[in-house]
Amino acid sequence: MTAPTQDPTRTTSAPQPPDDGARGAWRLVMQREIVTKAMNKAFVVGLLVSLGVIAALAAFFTWQGNRVDTSTVAVSGGDTAAVAAVTSAADLARAEGGNDEIEVLEVADDASAQAAVEDGDADAWLQTGTDGGWMLSAQGEPDGTLTRFVGTAVEQQTVAANAEAAGTSVAELSAGAELSTQALDADAMGEQAMFFATFALSFLFFAGALTSGNMIASSVVEEKQSRLVEIIATAVPLRQLLAGKILGSSVIAIGQNLLFAGVGLIAVAASPISIALPALSTSLIWFVVFFAIGFLALAALYAVAGALASRAEDLQYTSTPMTFLVMGVYFLTFTASGTFLTVLSYVPIANVVAMPARVLSGDATWWEPVVSLLILAGFAAVALLVSERAFRGSLLQTGGRISWRQALRSPS
Amino acid sequence: MAGSDLVSGGRLRREADPAGSALRGIRPWPVLPRLGAMSTLEVRDLTRTFGDLRAVDGVSFAARDGMLTGFVGSNGAGKTSTMRMMMGVLAITSGEVLLDGAPVTRADRRTFGYMPEERGLYPKQPALDQLVYLARLRGIPAAQARTEAMDHLERLGLGERAKDHVEKLSLGNQQRVQITAALMGRPRALILDEPFSGLDPSAVDDMVDLLREHTARGVPVLFSSHQLDLVERLCERLVILRGGRVVADGTPADLQSTGTVRHRLVLGGDAGWVRGVPGVHAVDVDGTTALVELVDDAAAQRLLASALERGTVHELSPVRPSLAQIYREVTS
Repeated sequence: MTAPTQDPTRTTSAPQPPDDGARGAWRLVMQREIVTKAMNKAFVVGLLVSLGVIAALAAFFTWQGNRVDTSTVAVSGGDTAAVAAVTSAADLARAEGGNDEIEVLEVADDASAQAAVEDGDADAWLQTGTDGGWMLSAQGEPDGTLTRFVGTAVEQQTVAANAEAAGTSVAELSAGAELSTQALDADAMGEQAMFFATFALSFLFFAGALTSGNMIASSVVEEKQSRLVEIIATAVPLRQLLAGKILGSSVIAIGQNLLFAGVGLIAVAASPISIALPALSTSLIWFVVFFAIGFLALAALYAVAGALASRAEDLQYTSTPMTFLVMGVYFLTFTASGTFLTVLSYVPIANVVAMPARVLSGDATWWEPVVSLLILAGFAAVALLVSERAFRGSLLQTGGRISWRQALRSPS
Repeated sequence: MAGSDLVSGGRLRREADPAGSALRGIRPWPVLPRLGAMSTLEVRDLTRTFGDLRAVDGVSFAARDGMLTGFVGSNGAGKTSTMRMMMGVLAITSGEVLLDGAPVTRADRRTFGYMPEERGLYPKQPALDQLVYLARLRGIPAAQARTEAMDHLERLGLGERAKDHVEKLSLGNQQRVQITAALMGRPRALILDEPFSGLDPSAVDDMVDLLREHTARGVPVLFSSHQLDLVERLCERLVILRGGRVVADGTPADLQSTGTVRHRLVLGGDAGWVRGVPGVHAVDVDGTTALVELVDDAAAQRLLASALERGTVHELSPVRPSLAQIYREVTS
């Protein structure tokens, strides 16, 4: 073979050894993917809106958690039993130390009490019933917390009266029936907090995978549709192009998730469940690591979805399997529990959410996430290899949608 | 840099034209000594099949240094497939692509300028940015790419719009950006698929001026086109494809001399009688003017003698066939 001739006036690049002049091209591609995305107004606005929504939700829950909820209960001044019951209900609420407060509003008679509820001066009206029972009335259904406190107070008062009538006392009657509670793991989260945390992980995965996945698919098809890919293909190996695109969109996806997770953690730190912060942080770190590996596989598969399409309109067809995969993982992981969740925590892609969720609940021993991560890495390696071949096999084919089978069989 | 490379390549070597020998009695193009990067891009027996269809069937020709070579043929004749194989974008079924006699490598192709058909650009990126990006992918340093892109854009009257998103430019201006992308970094060869489609005449002239600069430094330029008048005006050489095969290859003058030469006869009186002269085929008679094909020189003498017998002869002259006419002849 003759040496490539060089133009004497050409001062651009040194003579290149054959076929390796483009080894670092993935960096240029990656850089372009990131810069274009970061300069994209729609993306930036969407990101800011999402961050705003997360911050607003966190602020709302914090406010909700800290705010004092005062319920006013009207009683007729003549109904001494009711006055006593509401007063002790208020004591109960105060003793519990929650955010609920009960106030007594004494009025002249039953009619005034009813009027007070109707006018909105009181939230409810307690009266002793004619047939020996009690009645708590409100405009609609009485508030659950209020009903609980008033119910307990009424019960205690009645039991005390009945006990006295029977010649005994409440203390005697309830001796040995005390149930105490104790938290063995001070960091463990309540069931509801767990559900929300798992949901948040599923959602982070869903939003990150779907938006960044579609981003890489549409960036591939954009180049394919405009034939820029033919110019690029003559300049650099397609493998370099794919690598740059996968890494570029991964940086965006992971960066976005880190931002979301960061804002979420700050919100949690400021909220009443800040006690869960250490557990949540550990779980989130695992999540980010799992997501980073899992997204490499997803990004590669999404890139193929882009390469199989010929026009942007084809994307919704070629990316359908990916959409199902991501949605499936989303729904399965935030609804799963028990053995099913344990199984999912080892299934590639589903484990991106399921394993960190198990770490969060304290259910997973230390080696479990490690093994699961290795399985995920193996899957990602296979996905990358297969995708690379399908990408090369389909990217330069024009005219209509291409199937995975055609893409994998194609010589180039 | 790399001065020793300059003569070691096959650039200065001149061989008998292997492609030309297969072609219809066309003289080899005279080889002129030139300075600068000269290379010849050649295809030999290039074939591509799609299933049972032989889209490109044993195509051989050469795009020589410093020449604009026009690549002509109807839709589906195999032009685009040939160009895509030359650029390594489409897999070759058989045959080869040679640069200065050696098989073309990926490293060679990195230095080619290419305009694919039905092309576009990144709609939401400034023109300058994407020119720099595409140039850097080809190994041109960023600073140089930027300077060169700005120079080109300014020359094409787009200096003010360099930072505009491409989607905001008119189609003609987008095309100017596209050709700039192909011309960046002093390419060693240019392969342009329909570079002039959809351009107004002044834009065509701008682009031709640019291309001439590259041919002047010895770069072979191969471009396909449907506009035969344009090809006739611009090209030093012409390759006509039909059904995946080369049906003509040569300079426009060569091709015109191989086409059927006709004669125009203008008389003082009615020319209807020429239809009866032996050896004369009247293609068209309109009043005092006749367009005829003559079997030989004797027929010409007979025709002229008869005409003089009958009265005044204003004109008897050969009519060079237009390229469009030759194209119709070779592709029909």
